[in-house]
Amino acid sequence: MKKRTFLIRILFVAVLIGIAAVMCVIGRGHTVYFDNKTVTGPDGTVYEAPYQIQVFVEDESAGKLKEGDRGMASVMGQDFKMILHITPEKDAKKVGSAVSFKLPYNMDGVIINLPALLGGAPEDVYMEEFVPAPVEEDEDEEVVVTDEFEMPSEE
Amino acid sequence: MKKKSSRSFGAFLRSGSVPMMFVLICAVCIPLSGLSPSYLINEIVTRMGRNAFLILSLLIPIMAGMGLNFGMTLGAMAGEIGLILASDWQIVGIPGMVLAMIISVPISILLGLFCGKILNMAKGREMITSHIISYFINGVYQLVVLYLMGSVIPIKHSSIKLPRGYGIRNTVSLLSMRQKLDNLIPLTVRGVKIPVATFIIVAILCVFIVWFTRTKLGQDMRAVGQDMEVARDAGINVERTRIISIILSTVLAGIGMVIYLQNMGNIATYSSHSQIGMFCIAALLVGGASVDKASIWNVFLGVILFHLMFIVAPKAGAAITGDSMIGEYFRVFVSYAVITVALVMYETNKRKARSMEGERLRLEQEEEK
Repeated sequence: MKKRTFLIRILFVAVLIGIAAVMCVIGRGHTVYFDNKTVTGPDGTVYEAPYQIQVFVEDESAGKLKEGDRGMASVMGQDFKMILHITPEKDAKKVGSAVSFKLPYNMDGVIINLPALLGGAPEDVYMEEFVPAPVEEDEDEEVVVTDEFEMPSEE
Repeated sequence: MKKKSSRSFGAFLRSGSVPMMFVLICAVCIPLSGLSPSYLINEIVTRMGRNAFLILSLLIPIMAGMGLNFGMTLGAMAGEIGLILASDWQIVGIPGMVLAMIISVPISILLGLFCGKILNMAKGREMITSHIISYFINGVYQLVVLYLMGSVIPIKHSSIKLPRGYGIRNTVSLLSMRQKLDNLIPLTVRGVKIPVATFIIVAILCVFIVWFTRTKLGQDMRAVGQDMEVARDAGINVERTRIISIILSTVLAGIGMVIYLQNMGNIATYSSHSQIGMFCIAALLVGGASVDKASIWNVFLGVILFHLMFIVAPKAGAAITGDSMIGEYFRVFVSYAVITVALVMYETNKRKARSMEGERLRLEQEEEK
């Protein structure tokens, strides 16, 4: 093989790997859950939940969260931005706030405690990984059909 | 002159008989189905975006004289593996699709190389050989997807994995990628949703194919397709050219499968690929292509006619017989029938050409005497 051809092939493979790496970073999907719940920090600080928070992610409403509610949004990439419309008390005026932070790459699901985030709590207080509860599934529940010409059993 | 024009009309009738038959079927079935023109146009445009890339991948092997590449299923499997991995790594949207395509490329190259080498050992029987190879590789695919994924190849998410802890579920959701390419450039004309970005990619592939046929390699493929011995005498590496054509077709099929499945929004892990080759080949033949001759226009005409029949047949069947399954059977029957007819016609023409050549030689020898 000619040296030039070999180099072109190596370059082609390197470009493909490079594009794949970029896609892995910019395309990483996360499910972000927003909690409007009162939380207490490790130093004893209490972050009180307001009456209602409306969350907007990528110009779409991700929910109007009353105290104790949870909302969610699916996002792509690690740079996360949202706009919050906070109603501190019933019949009080809404206050707008734009918040942005980085999502950890390794977390599929991230729970954000909005009162703690707005109260300036450290990251480990307002952010935690969402771990779905394990679902007990029967192994026989899903029968894999690989052969479309499979003869039906006589049973 | 008169004889020549009647002969060319006969040739036109022969080459256009399948599309004309489908035009007739559609002309009868469309009014019976009761489907509105806007619905039909919408469906056809969607299916055009979904299938065109896959069907275009069949053109290069035809150019190289290797007939209809039933081995495109191999590329489809590679595309599915790419999508399964991208889904498990939670790479979503267009980046997820691009990643799946990139993952599919080396797998497609290896499978194409393997297929091409075997087809070189079975010259003249490429179609049946590639069809059987697709069954063989389907077994390997099942081994990988059903046993190695989750046990050897790490698969993290239980939504993809079978409850037993290894193997992939029957259906993998592609909700995070669903129609992301189709909706990338949103355009609706009189209620018809047009997947502009998908069409741009299909157009790029068409331009690539036209450009490719004019390159040295493309010309070599044409020469190999016309006569292997003459091409070899002209200094063309016939075997290498044939392998490249199959590799290209397999790689394009892998990319096409990713485009197809992003439109569908889920993968039927063990069956998506098995029928795709058959339906793509049927669509190409319906468009007026033959085993040894196909063009880009055959692809688009084929998608329109074949899928139009696909859409209207169940409804027309229900209107005629009261049972929509009749229409379902009809469209499956027609898909396989059109492939059979094309293969029979190809073989008949080949034999006819051979006997005419023999006759010509005999006459020449008699004249010499």
